[in-house]
This record gives sequence, structure tokens and C-alpha cells, in this order.
Amino acid sequence: MALSDLLPMLVIALYFLGTVLFVVGSALRQELLKKIALGFATLGFALHSVDLAQLLTVADPALALTTGRFLFCLLGWGILVFFLLLWWRLKLKFLAVVAMPLALMFYVASNATVGVNTKLPPMLTGLFFFLHVGTLFCSMALLAMAFGAGLAFMHLEKRIKTKAGLKTFQKDMPSLDTFDRVNHFVSLCGFPLYTLGLASGYVWAWLSARRVFSLDPKEVVALVVLILYANLFHQRLALGRRGRKPAVMVIVVFLLSVVSMIGINFLVPTTFHGFKP
Amino acid sequence: MHKNILLIGLNHRSAGVDVREKYALTNVADFEKSLLSACPVSEVMALSTCNRVEILVVADTAKSADVDLAEAVLSHWAGTCSGPLDPLRAHTYCHKGLEAVTHLFCVAASLDSMVMGEPQILGQLKTSYRKAVETGSARVIINRLLHKSFSVAKRVRTETAIASSAVSISYAAVELAKKIFGELSGKTALLVGAGEMAELAATHLLASGIKKLYICNRTFARAQELAKTMHGEAIFFEDMVERLRDVDIVISSTGSPTAIIRARDIREVLKKRRNRAMFFIDIAVPRDIDPDVNGLDNVYLYDIDDLKEVVEENMSTRQGEAVKARAIVDIETGAFATWLKSLALQPTITDLLGRAEEVASRELAKTIKRLGPVDDETRAALEVLVSSVSRKLLHEPICFLKRRTREEGTAERFIDMTRRIFNLDADPVNADAHLDRRSLGDGDEELDCECCRDADPESPE
Repeated sequence: MALSDLLPMLVIALYFLGTVLFVVGSALRQELLKKIALGFATLGFALHSVDLAQLLTVADPALALTTGRFLFCLLGWGILVFFLLLWWRLKLKFLAVVAMPLALMFYVASNATVGVNTKLPPMLTGLFFFLHVGTLFCSMALLAMAFGAGLAFMHLEKRIKTKAGLKTFQKDMPSLDTFDRVNHFVSLCGFPLYTLGLASGYVWAWLSARRVFSLDPKEVVALVVLILYANLFHQRLALGRRGRKPAVMVIVVFLLSVVSMIGINFLVPTTFHGFKP
Repeated sequence: MHKNILLIGLNHRSAGVDVREKYALTNVADFEKSLLSACPVSEVMALSTCNRVEILVVADTAKSADVDLAEAVLSHWAGTCSGPLDPLRAHTYCHKGLEAVTHLFCVAASLDSMVMGEPQILGQLKTSYRKAVETGSARVIINRLLHKSFSVAKRVRTETAIASSAVSISYAAVELAKKIFGELSGKTALLVGAGEMAELAATHLLASGIKKLYICNRTFARAQELAKTMHGEAIFFEDMVERLRDVDIVISSTGSPTAIIRARDIREVLKKRRNRAMFFIDIAVPRDIDPDVNGLDNVYLYDIDDLKEVVEENMSTRQGEAVKARAIVDIETGAFATWLKSLALQPTITDLLGRAEEVASRELAKTIKRLGPVDDETRAALEVLVSSVSRKLLHEPICFLKRRTREEGTAERFIDMTRRIFNLDADPVNADAHLDRRSLGDGDEELDCECCRDADPESPE
């Protein structure tokens, strides 16, 4: 079996084992299991990077950018990059419980889309590719991390508010403030990235078809996400909103993004974003 | 040269406070000295705190064969405290041999404390041991036993969660604050009113590194007085609500019959502080803070009953960890028993020769590897050489030890010293094992000696 055939299986196996061991380790409070899980995830991430690089070493890299396999592979990889950054900077190890299953899910999705190409126009390659796909994927990876932090915030806050006791929380579990900082960081960086990604798409639509917006389901959901994201950005930065409400909003925005990415791309016919065979 | 180890004591479980205060040892050093002269014991160490008295004695089996040692110690103790013997006998426990060792390890690891896992007992035990060393009543066995008990306590603390959660109201409040804010270093707290528990919580907050402490009291002079002792800033009671804008943690303990902080005040304060989280700790009864405050976003309120529940939950966690801790104590008791047996001369000689043989064979193997193929005759000659060097080197130390066994009371010290010099028990040596050890200098380099380094075969010398 060639390395290129073996690599996806290895990455999936490592992410799967990492996810299961981390969840079990968290439930049983076994630090060793969590360490092993993170070891698997790191190894999986390294192989994932090799796989991604391998996809770009084909004769026509621009063509590779339009493949569903590359795009989903990149999204899964991006989520892990942001997880590793947050783990390193804010010690948010527990976010592995969100990052690993999502990376696994998108990596599996990438392998399910082998042979499926989007109708990515030639001018969307290179710089434009990174302006549209790169920024949107970064924004989505950030949202994934804020989603995990938001769920943890709500759970911990509920326990503190209702005085349900903190016995189930581990000593190294971050504080409410730390979870809220993730939300703040994601609102601050993720919204401009998302806006840039969407705006570049609209610019392309105007340049190619002399129209900015159509009633394409993907574009409608993207616009709804943008409005909600803008509201979150405004609430946090202008009104100083913190805590539970921004956490709920970021969870909704992320879930809508997943619906848009998986549901619409695979199930609904759209103009440019369809992976429906 | 068999030894009796005996531990007699009373604690909060075996005796009420009236008995404990009657039989507390006010001058431990004098008690140890007098016990050494009054009873046939070779070593003594006593610990006396508000919750317990523990008297640890070591005696030669031969010398104490005709005496009821426990009874003799009890009589001396009762005499020292000028109290009757019978009530003391009724409230004390007596552990012999390895049971005494286990009990001491449990005391050091805070498994026998009223608040399991509290750290003070270890400090008290260390102080008592230091005094016993100064008095000269702690010798080989007690030295080893106490050092071992300190390492058992450390192991229990690091390998179990026995001391990981707060079991006092004031400390539980600080732990909760950390769950909300994470690091407390940049935070500001306000102490409203005065009360022992509230002051204690404020002290814990200060120790956690909060940036500023405001103190507010209906009597401004009292606030100023407290501010001076706690290095805080006194504020007028009338300015309290206005000041809440800059405060993250509020500890309230006034005697007010009605709430002094209301939800509508806090709603306004939150707007001014752009919804930054606030934590209210209400230790007062009747409560000082309107319970509706807890319903506001980013505001957390805990009253005295809520904090008590947290403490009870943590206590039950500690009970679970105690099972793990006892397993560690059992293992370490076994290790101590092995050491105790080795204090006889013959096992030490066997261990010494064994260690020498091991080093000799290891070095011989290295040399033969370096030399390349050698014939059987040369190999046999080299084996005899290294074996003979190691045995002859140990001949004088072994003769010295044999001579000491014929003298009174010195053999154990030298046998123990020999075991430590040659590290026959393979004990790890902690960096803080001897606090009076001279510093090695700026770099604090690793201890090393020339003989440990392999000779360079390429070297011209």
C-alpha cells in the first residue's frame, strides 16, 4: 500500500484514538490518558500537515485548491492550529475535547469528497483563494474554539450560580474569565476575518457576474452568520457585553457555520460551493 | 540489639478538650529529659499541640524487659502534668512496633488530623523533632523515623489530592474567586464590616496577590484601624456603593438587620463597570446582600450556607483520597521495617560486601570490553584482583563496626552512618534533606567526585 493511501487511515486512526482517550481521560480524571490522547493528536496533526503538503505537490497546485478534499482537509488542520495556539498561550488544554472531534470530522469529510471539485473560478486561486477561503476557514476554526469555550463557560457558570458544587471540575480547569477571554479574542479577530472572507466573495461575484448577492442558500446563511457575528462584535466591543450572552451567541454562530459548511455544501444544490456528487 | 518502639498519646478523638488541656505538655524539652532519666528508654520525642499529645519512645528490649514501658511513660506523663493517672490511661492510645510507625506516618501526613489534610501538623512535628535533636533525646531510630515521616507526608501530598481543596469557609471563598477570575493578582476586593471569618477571607485574598483591598465600616475609625493592619484603604460607609464600580470581590459581614447591597444598586454598578464579573461573599447573618443579586448576569453571590456546602463537599473528597494515602503509609512502613532489621551488624556487612561485589563486577566488565578479547586465565586473574581489592578496602570499616558493637550504645549510630555513606538502602536524597547544608555556590553544581569518572583510555596519563 502506498504512503498516500496509508496516510489518511493513519490520521483518522490517530484523531479517533486521541478523541476517545481524551474524553475517557477527562471523565475518569486520568491525566496520563489525556497526555497520551494529546500525543496521538499531535502525531495526527503532523501527518495531517504532510497530507496537506502532499496535496499541493501535484502538477497543478491551483487545481488542487479547488478540490473538496483539500478544502476540508485545510479546515480540519486550521482548527487544530488554533487549538494548539490557545493551548500554548492560554493553557486551554480542555479545548481538545472540541478540536479533536471537529478535526476528525472535517478530515473524514475531506476523504469523502475525493474526486469532487468545486466550481472555483481561476481568479480565486492564489491571493484571492487566501482572501476568501483562507480567511473564512480561519474564522471558522476560531469559532470552533469559542464554541468549546462557550459550552464550558455555560456549564461552569451554571454550577457556580446554582451552587451545585465544583467537585466534578478538575483543578487545572480554567476560570470563567479565561473562557470569556477566548470569546473576546474570537469576536475581535474572527469577525474581521469572516467579513473579509465574505466581502472578497461578493467582490468576485460582482466582477464575474455583475451581481453581488443572489438567493443561493449558501449566501443567505452566510449573510445571517455575518449579521449575528456583527451583533456579537458590537455587543462585546461597543457595549462591553460579557459572560453568558456572548457565549450563547458564539455557539449559535458556530452551529450555523457548521450547517452552512456541511449541510448546505453536501445536501443542497448551490452555485459555487456544492460538493453534492 | 532489638529495639522497642512505643507511641503513647491522646488526640481530639480519644479525649475531650478538658482532658487535652490538662495533659498538654507545656515544656516538651524538660519532659523529654526527665523521661530519659526516669524510664529505661534510649530515645524520646514528644509532640504537644491543642489537638494532640504524642510521646514516641525507643528502648532496648533487653533493658526494658522487666518494666511495663507504657505504664512507666504514662505515670511520668501524669506526674509531669500533676494529674491523676487513671483518667489519662482511659483517654490514651498505645501503639507498639510497626503500629507506632504507621501512626506517626499518619499524623505527619495529616490523616489523623481533625481537618484531614491540613498542613500545620507537619510544621509542628518538625519543630518538635528539632527540639528533640537539640535536647539530645532523638538518636538513630527517631532520627530516621522522623525523616521518613516527613518524606511520607510529602509523598502523600504530591501523589494524592488530600490537600487539594479548601476545607475552611474563608479559603473556600478564595478558591471560588479563583474559579471565576483565574489569577487574582490584578483584582480589587472590598471588606464591608468586620468579623473574624471575613477578615480571614480578606487575609487569604491578600495572600493570593490581590491588587488592592478597600475596607468599609459604619465606624470609620474601625475601618482605618483595620486598613492599617491589612495594608488596605479605608472608605466611608456612604461611599460604598459608588466604590463597587472598581471592586471585583466583596466580602460582607456587618450586623445590619436588612440588606445593605441591593440588586438594583448592582445593576447600575454593572453598567458602569462594563459588565466585568463581580463576586459577593456574604458571611453575615442576617444577610447583608440581597439574594436577587445572584440572578444578575456576571454576578455571583455566595452566603455562609453556600460556602458551608462547598466545604462539606471538599471534605468528602478528602475522605476518598485518604484511602490512597493509607496505602502509601503502609508501603513506607514496610520500608522502615526493612531498615530497622538492617540495623543489626550482619545484614550490613552482607549488604556492604554485596555492593562492593556489584561495583567490582561492573567495572571489570567495562575494562574487559575496553581491552578486547582476553584469555580465560587473564580474566580469572582480573576477577580475583577486583574482588580482593574491594574486600580488602572494606576490611577495616567492617572491623571498626565489629569493635563498636562491643561498646555501649554506639553501634547503631555507626551502622546507620555506614548504610548512609554507602547508600545501602538506595534512598533518594532530597535537596532540602539537610537545611543547614552549606550552599555549593552560585551554580549549585551536581555533587560529583573524581573516582566516579571513567579514566580516559586515550589519555597519555
